[in-house]
Amino acid sequence: MSHRDRPSRCPFHVTANEEGTPPRRRFLRGLGLTGLGVGLAGLYPGRVLSAEPLQTPPQGKEVTSAPLARDPQLSWPFHGRHQQGVVTPRPATGMVVAFDVLAGDRDGLQRLFETLTARIAFLTQGGRYPQRDPHYPPPDSGILGPDIPPDGLTVTLALGDALFDQRFGLDAARPRHLQRMTGFPNDALEAERCHGDIALQFCANTLDTCYHALRDIIKHTPGLMLVRWKQEGTVPLLPPSPGDFDGSARNFLGFRDGSANPSNDDAALMDELVWVDGTGENEPAWAQGGSYMAVRIIRNFVERWDRTPLGEQEAIFGRRKMSGAPLSGGNEQDVPDYSDDPEGHITPLDAHIRLANPRTPATQHNRILRRPFNYSNGVEANGQFDMGLLFICFQADLDAGFITVQQRLNGEPLEEYIKPVGGGYFFVLPGAINQQDFLGRSLLNATA
Amino acid sequence: MKMHSLKASLMTAAALVLMALNVQARAAVSAEQLVTPIAEYKLYVLDNLDQLVDHTRRFTTAVEQGELDRAQSLYAPTRVYYERIEPIAELFADLDASIDAREDDYEHGVADPDFTGFHRLEYGLFHNDSTDGMAPYAKGLMSDVNDLDSRVRDLTFPPSTVVGGAAALMEEVAATKVSGEEDRYSRTDLWDFQANVDGAREIFSLFKPLVAQQHPDFVARVTKNFGDVEKTLAQYRTTPDDPASGFVSYDEVSQADRHALAGTVTVLAEDLSTLRGMLGLD
Ligand code: HEM
Repeated sequence: MSHRDRPSRCPFHVTANEEGTPPRRRFLRGLGLTGLGVGLAGLYPGRVLSAEPLQTPPQGKEVTSAPLARDPQLSWPFHGRHQQGVVTPRPATGMVVAFDVLAGDRDGLQRLFETLTARIAFLTQGGRYPQRDPHYPPPDSGILGPDIPPDGLTVTLALGDALFDQRFGLDAARPRHLQRMTGFPNDALEAERCHGDIALQFCANTLDTCYHALRDIIKHTPGLMLVRWKQEGTVPLLPPSPGDFDGSARNFLGFRDGSANPSNDDAALMDELVWVDGTGENEPAWAQGGSYMAVRIIRNFVERWDRTPLGEQEAIFGRRKMSGAPLSGGNEQDVPDYSDDPEGHITPLDAHIRLANPRTPATQHNRILRRPFNYSNGVEANGQFDMGLLFICFQADLDAGFITVQQRLNGEPLEEYIKPVGGGYFFVLPGAINQQDFLGRSLLNATA
Repeated sequence: MKMHSLKASLMTAAALVLMALNVQARAAVSAEQLVTPIAEYKLYVLDNLDQLVDHTRRFTTAVEQGELDRAQSLYAPTRVYYERIEPIAELFADLDASIDAREDDYEHGVADPDFTGFHRLEYGLFHNDSTDGMAPYAKGLMSDVNDLDSRVRDLTFPPSTVVGGAAALMEEVAATKVSGEEDRYSRTDLWDFQANVDGAREIFSLFKPLVAQQHPDFVARVTKNFGDVEKTLAQYRTTPDDPASGFVSYDEVSQADRHALAGTVTVLAEDLSTLRGMLGLD
């Protein structure tokens, strides 16, 4: 299995098999840097952004220049067997928004699915809005200007267990593992940040693009759904590093997060671990090509963490903080090896990574595809920060995946520094295969 | 002044204003066509103001005389007349603040010395269950309401404010009524909710003839949605479906009905936000 465990990518990395261009070249082209002969040493924030040589601003200039976009034209295909935003390389920002459905019947639900499909198809490819008589409210919020760049946007539609109640007659077609999230021992769930009839996951190069897409969708679905909760997050960008290997992004505890994650460009592995196979007995046929999304809003007690000795921090995770290397040795990308450490002298038995993935043959099918973002919301009454991890993971079997892994993690030493407060379980619908199709069609047909 | 002569003089005034504003009436609507509905709307507002003055007098007297039960029972029915005409009342920001601000509008909340008006009294009457110390607020409210009354009488109604008022009222509902934040101590939110809907519906009805031909779908949808909201609200009358009776506490509104109301109110807000555009008003 080891060759499959690859570090997750730098946010702007595009995998070769999806675009036909080697990742690094495409990445650089996105930045407008190929062929410019810009030395990597010069690639620092602020400069890396611009293809143009830095210009001295004209004298007396009164406009505050906007920071320059990185890869605004990056777009991911919308139509396909699977939805976007699952195995798509993770961009710099992400947001999950959960909704209660207000539509009262199946017709309304279908209208909602069709509208969402149409809006997502437009927003993820970019373009212009039609003009409207200025006596009317404008058709668009305008926050991205007149030309909407795709900006790497993906929007993923997923359904909560709640939608399968008596309202829409979907019960008989419920995905086998879909269930309402229940609290784990360390959880302190807040009702207003949990569950939902449906969830939308937005990911893009910038949060503005996510917000724009959300506001567009809200404007097009009045009376059909109501926001229940929303959580956005980011991952820090890395300057491209020489050589082939990019380390994974750090979370708010300062550790690299994503070092050992099933490789999202290994299609066979994704079929095994992430995508639902509707051909067998296990799942309804309509669900084929979907996936389970577990979302957890996990607060980090960062002040306390920052007062914890480094050695203890590393023992809690089972990895070195700066390099990301496993305590068992090697570099970040090397697979942790517990074979000659049965008593946990090197990697403690209750280290996060060892519990999460004991790397035994029996636990191989429990692996999950993690795609988290760091969030920062504000300040608690005690003056400490409300920051943490918007944990998102995908799996073909929710019980074997997230739930089993979380059960193994219950009681881990990391719990002293984290508190899950919200989230939910959702089923990512199969993709819309062409213009005539819409997200959710196979479900509605299966229950017609 | 008799009603019809008042109306005639209002119409002349409205016509003059419209000419002075050089209303750009595109589409099917000319400036003259707006004269009647605007004059009618001013009558509606003045009528509600009369009632507001009258009810406020009884309410504030009860407070000053220390009649707690009576003051409590008059609180919600008095506010109705303010909530119906909010798009106009809000034009006077100073009075709107002193009459209808909520504690959230002040840095120091309930303790803020600037916090006055209906919601300050609500806090005393329903949270403290007492009229103690409330007399100055009652006096202030009465004088603010009288002030509002005389200011509105002298006001020429801007057409875009009147027409936009329908949407503004639905925004009010969406922002504070659906969540039950408006009357958090008395829990009488449904009275305000109904009053906002009344006010919006009045405006819609007055201008409907001007858009009905060109936008029949719009008119049908808005009419239906107003009907749906009112039907849901009517179930929460103390005597269900009796328009003369009051409302139960907002706490009793089921989650399903809150959702139904929120959905319909959002659609109404979206639809009514296009009414100005249909009439070619800025
Ligand atoms: C705030 C909460 C969390 C933090 C800060 C955190 C952090 C980390 C870090 C630093 C690593 C090591 C780097 C890596 O392999 O990517 C890691 C690995 C991992 N974490 Fe978490 N994690 C959190 C919550 C969770 C949760 C809720 C789960 C699932 C229930 C989970 C599952 C995993 C898995 C499966 C691995 C990879 C282990 C391996 O394959 O070696 N983590 N996490």
